[in-house]
Amino acid sequence: MAAQPTELILDRAHNAVISMDQRGRVTYWNPAAETVFGVSREQAVGRKVAELIVPERLRETHTSGIRRLVAGGAGRLIDRRVEMPALRGDGSEFPVEMTISAWREGGESSFTAFLQDISERRAAASERERLVEELRLALRGTDRRLDAIVGSLSEPVTIRDHTDRIVYANRAALLHLGFQSVVELAQTPPERIMADYIVLGEDGGEISMQQIPSVRLLQGETPEPLLIRTIHRDSGAERWNLLKAAPVLDESGRLEATIMLIEDVTEQQREQQRSAFLAEASLVLASSLDYEQTLQNVAQLAVPEIADWCGVDLVDADGDRVPVAVAHVDPARLQLAAQLREYPLTEADVEHGLGRVLRVGESVLYPEIPEDMLLQAAVSDEHLALLRAVEMRSAAIVPIRLGKRILGAMTLVGAESGRVLDRADLELAEQIASRAAVAIENSRLYSERSTIARTLQKSLLPERLPEIAGYELAGAYLPAFEGTEVGGDFYDAWGVRGGWMMTIGDVTGKGFEAAALTSLVRHNLRAMSEFVSSPAELLARLDLVLKKQRRGSTCTAILLRLDEDGATLAMGGHPLPIRITSVGAEQVGDFGPMLGAFEGVAWRDTMVALPPGSILVMYTDGVTDAVGTDGERYGQFRLRDTLDACRDFTASKVVQRLNDALANFQVGGHADDTAILAIRHMPEADQSLHEGRGVRKATEALAGPA
Amino acid sequence: MVRPAKFEIKELVNGESATLVIVGELDMRTAEHLSECLAEQRAKGVTDVTVDLAKLSFMDSSGLKALIDLHDRSRAEAWKLKMVAPEYEAAALVLRATGADKALPFAETSSP
Repeated sequence: MAAQPTELILDRAHNAVISMDQRGRVTYWNPAAETVFGVSREQAVGRKVAELIVPERLRETHTSGIRRLVAGGAGRLIDRRVEMPALRGDGSEFPVEMTISAWREGGESSFTAFLQDISERRAAASERERLVEELRLALRGTDRRLDAIVGSLSEPVTIRDHTDRIVYANRAALLHLGFQSVVELAQTPPERIMADYIVLGEDGGEISMQQIPSVRLLQGETPEPLLIRTIHRDSGAERWNLLKAAPVLDESGRLEATIMLIEDVTEQQREQQRSAFLAEASLVLASSLDYEQTLQNVAQLAVPEIADWCGVDLVDADGDRVPVAVAHVDPARLQLAAQLREYPLTEADVEHGLGRVLRVGESVLYPEIPEDMLLQAAVSDEHLALLRAVEMRSAAIVPIRLGKRILGAMTLVGAESGRVLDRADLELAEQIASRAAVAIENSRLYSERSTIARTLQKSLLPERLPEIAGYELAGAYLPAFEGTEVGGDFYDAWGVRGGWMMTIGDVTGKGFEAAALTSLVRHNLRAMSEFVSSPAELLARLDLVLKKQRRGSTCTAILLRLDEDGATLAMGGHPLPIRITSVGAEQVGDFGPMLGAFEGVAWRDTMVALPPGSILVMYTDGVTDAVGTDGERYGQFRLRDTLDACRDFTASKVVQRLNDALANFQVGGHADDTAILAIRHMPEADQSLHEGRGVRKATEALAGPA
Repeated sequence: MVRPAKFEIKELVNGESATLVIVGELDMRTAEHLSECLAEQRAKGVTDVTVDLAKLSFMDSSGLKALIDLHDRSRAEAWKLKMVAPEYEAAALVLRATGADKALPFAETSSP
């Protein structure tokens, strides 16, 4: 049973984890869920999630939410946290924070939710709000009351005057910022305090002084609480803080001072990241038989949330170490990390670090890596220079073990972010490693060449399409029947500065070569789209890239850019897309030359109108080339007729209908690989439903908007 | 439309020039026959080749790749290559969609 090892891991998760099938029935309920909801696994499994944990007033929205997700739900949905009320077994209501994943397996949708009881956090938050209110009042009266109220508060509070000078800080704030007295703190410019830290936002981007809530208040804005990650430059200590600012107004309504509250949310944040990593990694490991790719995916997931870099080594039949995967938070340093890992283990190494883990099979944690440890480990000056260059500060190494057999090891490293790895990180790594062991063993049993090529090609498709506000995207990859070599069809969609980019294409060739070329095309398009916005210009650059490859490396592709100006299309020798509007289906765009094939050719951008309610369908020639019972090809005319009957469909329904039509038409399975990508501009009336990306959808899936 | 059922290459040789008339579907199964046929003619000393696609009823990306390969080789090895455009829409469409109708050496008179 494939799901079992995943469940073994989830059984040990600190958060409640619940899975349900597409009929809304519980299929999995972990021990933490038993504690949080006061309902045992035996009582829960098989029952409706709606009846178990959704408050009655939200049940209808929950049920229709599931139905919507099932109808339109391809791929995994969301990674955002949502807060909502939930029911305990005794009927009492309490607030939870939730993250949902959705996926399809064998034509059925399944959903898994991670839930955390946040009643205590909520209560603390309202207590703080009350304090801030009292503070405001106190400030208007005498300063003496101030210290009595906030002096003993365990959370840091600072008050700044209208020039952003600190006029008050409680003991916790002094401790937090590393100062002895308010006078000393008040004399230090805020920029200097901030300079001691690397300050990052939730998305990993650097936070400037101008984004700090108290500064924004002074500029007349109404700032939202800001979640920041601070790393002390010297000690490397990492904290997550939630900054909240409130204004103090004088009688005439002018801003007199700002109160800022610094809430330490490090533990919640880490727990959340670990849960998300655990869930993602479990899915990735269960998803494919191609273990090297899988291990690479897992390594990729670990950075930057869990570690700055992550490596996986396996032991071959001779007992030698084989580095198979490495991921680094900073792509520029990936090379360094990879280089470092090429060094063979020395005899001394067998007693320490990775060597010992591979030999003995026991985990090891180095919260700190002092300089003399590097000196000891270095085999040459060059090696030492490399060790220093990667700025290793902290490491955790865990064995990948199947019973007594040691298959390899996973290494997590805290480097330039200054992240210090702890026990919890080590435990997490051990859980992932035990799952990885099963995945490796499975793939070794099934490592047939064609299976791997097929898996590779599939792995080149986006795991899920992005959610674009106001639009719906659906894609399908229909592999040719077993026994044929895998082709080079692909599609992709990703966010770029100021908009979105979509592509579908067909790389010439079959098997591994096609997969390799597909990977090259996709990566180049994604990379170049960072600085080139014109689809035609991107095709021209891709054409040059292909011409540098071995002869015959050609490809057809459509590139579509979606931004506030509308849709811009460029054609690279690919069949024209078909637009479905209320008046019917028609081809749009102009043919352009194939990529990598011809000299002296050029590409053009064309604007394509996509009015609300319309759908643009892009496809590869596997659709039109499909052969029917009488030897006829499916062709342009049948395709247009099929799509003409899809007016007012959702994008995913169009893809489904076309898939069904092809299945009815052709004999047996697909003779060739086929890809379909559809994008629908949501009709005006439906758009509000889809705003806020996947969050709203997710909310509806389990309980409806709270 | 009656489809030519079988794939076939008719070879009409006249001294140093040869015309290869392609009938039927040029796809992943048949494309390599074209390359083999061309190699045989070249080995016999042919330096002027016409590929007649008038009776080509269908072509997929493998077929197109075979045509582009021919064109690349004619330039690399300096022999003459001409092509006659297909009459069947299914095949002509692939040439138009990929820009091959302009990039490959189709005879002016019957350009698709």
